[in-house]
Amino acid sequence: MTRKNDISTPEGYFQHLEEQLKAIPAREVKPTVIQRISPWIAYAASLAVLAAVGNFIFGRAAAVEEDAGWDYVSYLSRSLDPDGQIELMETDTLSDEDIRSFLIADNISVEHLETLDHEEDY
Amino acid sequence: MENLQQKFDQIVHEYSEKLYWHVRRMVGSHEDADDLLQEIFLKIWTNLPAFRGESQLYTWIWRIATNETLNHLRREKVRAALRFQSVDGLVERRIEGDPYFNGTAAQRELAKAVARLPEKQRQVFILRWWDELSYEDISAITGTSVGALKASYHIAREKIELNLSDAEVSK
Repeated sequence: MTRKNDISTPEGYFQHLEEQLKAIPAREVKPTVIQRISPWIAYAASLAVLAAVGNFIFGRAAAVEEDAGWDYVSYLSRSLDPDGQIELMETDTLSDEDIRSFLIADNISVEHLETLDHEEDY
Repeated sequence: MENLQQKFDQIVHEYSEKLYWHVRRMVGSHEDADDLLQEIFLKIWTNLPAFRGESQLYTWIWRIATNETLNHLRREKVRAALRFQSVDGLVERRIEGDPYFNGTAAQRELAKAVARLPEKQRQVFILRWWDELSYEDISAITGTSVGALKASYHIAREKIELNLSDAEVSK
């Protein structure tokens, strides 16, 4: 068996090889500022998304709680009587005058009306 | 940083050619050896700041080179298998078609017989026969005992001689 060199390289290969290899450190790209801070940007973005989702969910819950104190009577009256033709009978706000007007409109007799007036005097 | 660059330049100057011949013998073609050499020196550069001098620089560099070469050959085998190409005789085929092979027919047969050896035996044979490293150095590079290396080299040599005599008979 012979040890003699039996393989060769392209002409001038080793001259270029050394230059090429010595250039490796310069070729190694240093990370840019953007590349260095991009993980932090991603982290901040995910936090912002979480905050937005949380705000949406908890905001809705608060709105539902507020809705619990909503005036359904007013809502219904507005829905059923949009032109305001039906007066809402709120007994606690009716005055004696309102009752008297109602009774007169309902053709109550004058005697009966006087009786009622006397009862009020007691 | 400047100090590291100087050290790296020194390593390139001292080892690039030696490592090229080793890698070229292992992979069988100039193009593959050239690509692999870039990877090896990139690895040397990236690991150089962590080199603490527990082992000799010489041993450390050769260890990187031989490990990278073995990994490269394994990756090639996987790639060939994934393409349903024959894994056997990959290096041998390269030697057969190598335009930069300028030896005799007998030398080509020797190179092909070495390529037929299992990876580890081939590595030991090339380090001892062509790179002319001592068993002690090979032991430090490969982490194998000197006794085991001697046995491995002996077996490799016998296989090659058998291969060459078979090739001679078949002519």
